[in-house]
Amino acid sequence: MRKTCTPLFTTFLAALFAMGFVASTSAQQKLAKAATPDDRSGLSLSSADATTPVQTLLNPLAGEWTKIPSHRIALNRTPPLYDTEAPAALEIPYVDVRLARAEGKLMVQMIWRDATQDTAQIAKLPSAPYEGRPHKELTEATDRFFDSAAVMYPQRPPTEGVWPSLQMGDTSQPVTIYFWNSARGAARMEAEGRGTTKRTGESFPCQATYHDGTWNLAMVLDNIPSGMPLAFAIWNGSQQDRDGRKYFTTWLKLE
Amino acid sequence: MSRHQYAMVMDLNKCLGCQTCTIACKKLWTDRDGTQHMYWNNVETRPGIGYPRQWDHIGGGWKDGQLQPSKQPTLDDYGAPWEFDYEQRLYEGKKKPVMASPDPISGPNWDEDVGALNGDDNFYFYLPRICNHCTNPACLAACPRQAIYKREEDGIVVLDQERCEGYRYCIAACPYKKIYFNEITGKSEKCIFCYPRLEKGEVNACAAQCPGRLRFVGLLDDPNSAVHKLVHVYKVALPLFPEKGTLPNVFYVPPFNPPKRTNYGKSILEDPRLPLEYLIYLFGPEVKSIIVRLEAELKSAQNGTSSELLQLLIGRDAETRYQIRPQLVQIQSKIGGHS
Repeated sequence: MRKTCTPLFTTFLAALFAMGFVASTSAQQKLAKAATPDDRSGLSLSSADATTPVQTLLNPLAGEWTKIPSHRIALNRTPPLYDTEAPAALEIPYVDVRLARAEGKLMVQMIWRDATQDTAQIAKLPSAPYEGRPHKELTEATDRFFDSAAVMYPQRPPTEGVWPSLQMGDTSQPVTIYFWNSARGAARMEAEGRGTTKRTGESFPCQATYHDGTWNLAMVLDNIPSGMPLAFAIWNGSQQDRDGRKYFTTWLKLE
Repeated sequence: MSRHQYAMVMDLNKCLGCQTCTIACKKLWTDRDGTQHMYWNNVETRPGIGYPRQWDHIGGGWKDGQLQPSKQPTLDDYGAPWEFDYEQRLYEGKKKPVMASPDPISGPNWDEDVGALNGDDNFYFYLPRICNHCTNPACLAACPRQAIYKREEDGIVVLDQERCEGYRYCIAACPYKKIYFNEITGKSEKCIFCYPRLEKGEVNACAAQCPGRLRFVGLLDDPNSAVHKLVHVYKVALPLFPEKGTLPNVFYVPPFNPPKRTNYGKSILEDPRLPLEYLIYLFGPEVKSIIVRLEAELKSAQNGTSSELLQLLIGRDAETRYQIRPQLVQIQSKIGGHS
């Protein structure tokens, strides 16, 4: 089933409505309807069954991806963490997401425009003990942050239409996060509320390329069942993004 | 509030600027991967740009209950060490001498002994710095992951390497810039007040190695400790930049010597070598009364009266300077002290 997601349009309408530009119309009624917890028809993502092997789709530029419908999802900026911190500009207004099911995995392609490629080759921490080892790896910079992206979903199917907190889940509904950092690679994480993110020690397959001011990222996720909510996040290194300082989407229902 | 609080007092009149403390700390704690720019203990020349440079101007700390914004120091601000072009040694005297490579542009204590002019006279003094293990730590408040905690048993502020994700809010929040980012581990690090040594009854490495014997270490709440006497009884030691609101537990006996050659018969405040305004900048307005008291004690001792305070400040032996009390500080398990 193909279904186009329209949160960007919805956000735009909501903004117009807030500014008083939209009178009482059917669109307004539609908005009011969409706001009820049980009806998330405007916030859903379709996934396509792909016959293409996972290994092919792991290349985010593979032509096979273009056969799969793309969802343009509006990004929001988190508010400043501290009152004394200036709000960050919305430099990345949206992310294009494609979802494919292949070989029992959920494949995710994320494409977003980012004027600066903030990444680096960082030396790995040597496994040999540092004592007596003449060469030590060096810190190259202390003030840089790297472009990153993540997909989050609840560890258990939500019951009674109640979705976990968008702020990294909550104790009753823990979440899994597939986190990719352009300099440090992929890490599978778990969380049950803000500030509780823990690394599981596991990685996951993913590939990313940056060209022409655009990040293209493909990830191999577990076989997340339909009906589960997904949320996406993007960190822009040049905006000193890390932690909750980021771009995020709302929960989107996986069809 | 921790049950006990370890504290350090440094008598700036005794600091030689020899950097033995810096090297003691470096050899013990930061001779690892990714730590080349870190000096958990550093000694900088004042007035000067400091380490990391301009740390006292780039922000952090508390104001009206709010954490203040700050720039993240760059590697150049720390002044990472440089190497020398050793191949040139074969040509010494013929071509170029052995040169630093690449050309150094900064370094810790880069402006060593430069100081500033007070009238026609140059002045400078040394300022050794470690983490202040504050009672109201801005770094702890800034960390969204609760990776930083203050040990309940002894007030030492430590950074849990397991919880840290390298966000560096703590570095921005610390007005003293005493937390450092290790890019190889992706985590931040800081002075741990040598707690593994204290737990064995040994004083901090920086204090143990100090040839100037300027450091005093003990529990601030132990009435028999030198730090308690200097801070709370004699009241001759002050924290650095008290207006930053973090309530440091490292204190300084302000420098007031040496007298100028021409000021015989004048009080130190009439014709000071070190401008009072600069000391007030560093230690707040209370510094003036401390200098007056210290000068009075000195004059009194010069007239043959014994001074308990000066004897304590001289601190001839380790027993006078250090009161390490592992028996008073019951070590908590990590889980017990940090939920």
